[in-house]
Amino acid sequence: MKIFKLLLLLIALALGTTATVMYSGIVNVAADEPHSDFVYWLLEETRNNSIKKAAQHIEVPNLEDAELLLMGGADYEFMCSSCHLKPGQSESDMSLGLYPAPPNLAVSNDEHKGHEHGDENQADRNNFWVIKHGIKASGMPAWGKTHDDQRIWAMVAFIKRLPTLSPEQYQILTAVE
Amino acid sequence: MKTSLIKTVSKIALVLIPTITLSMAATAHDPKMHAKKAVKADCSKMDHSKMDMKDPVVIAMMKKCKKQAKAPHAKMDHSKMGKMGKKMDHNKTKDIDDKSNKKESHDHH
Repeated sequence: MKIFKLLLLLIALALGTTATVMYSGIVNVAADEPHSDFVYWLLEETRNNSIKKAAQHIEVPNLEDAELLLMGGADYEFMCSSCHLKPGQSESDMSLGLYPAPPNLAVSNDEHKGHEHGDENQADRNNFWVIKHGIKASGMPAWGKTHDDQRIWAMVAFIKRLPTLSPEQYQILTAVE
Repeated sequence: MKTSLIKTVSKIALVLIPTITLSMAATAHDPKMHAKKAVKADCSKMDHSKMDMKDPVVIAMMKKCKKQAKAPHAKMDHSKMGKMGKKMDHNKTKDIDDKSNKKESHDHH
């Protein structure tokens, strides 16, 4: 009986704390105020492990295909480059303004600070999953609602080669007449 | 009579509205529609000497530039040119040629 009462008290305390935090307005949701290191770590670990688990059974097709690069290049230029940048560019209004900051996909995985990408196949799987499903409250949309899997794989193929492209190569691959 | 007409109209609306909406959604994501504005690939900066012809990036660039080079000719409909040729009054074109030749020879003076 005592345990039951203690449990009820703890639940009431948790609900009361949650309601106080929610309705008092003390949480700062401004994108120009970064999280504390602890909150940032908590959210990033949660996100990375969630993506890794959700994407683990996705089969990666052959991405070394010129047609995929052409299709993915046009889509990347329109849908991704304003946040994830392009060769020769280090920042944009979106990359500076969004929080968490979108990763610069024009540089190699090794240059991304703070998180692991796993092996090449794991990175491709993760990219496919993130493009298709998006990430809650991060500014990353779920492109799978309006684009089929082939279009998304084309973007993955393009992103894979993006860090190796010069600005001139990028211009040719992404131009749409 | 009125009720049957209303039923028919509502049936047509039920079929047409989703069809039109879906067909619009299908065309909304064409990559060409994504483009902010038409941009030509700048193929003049390609350095062929350093290219690995087996690299998918190089193959993709070659395809893009080849397609772009062919594009202006592709827009001409050669199949209709036979009929156009018949309609053309070649006597008049001869006059134009004569006039331009005369003008050229006059310019030389």
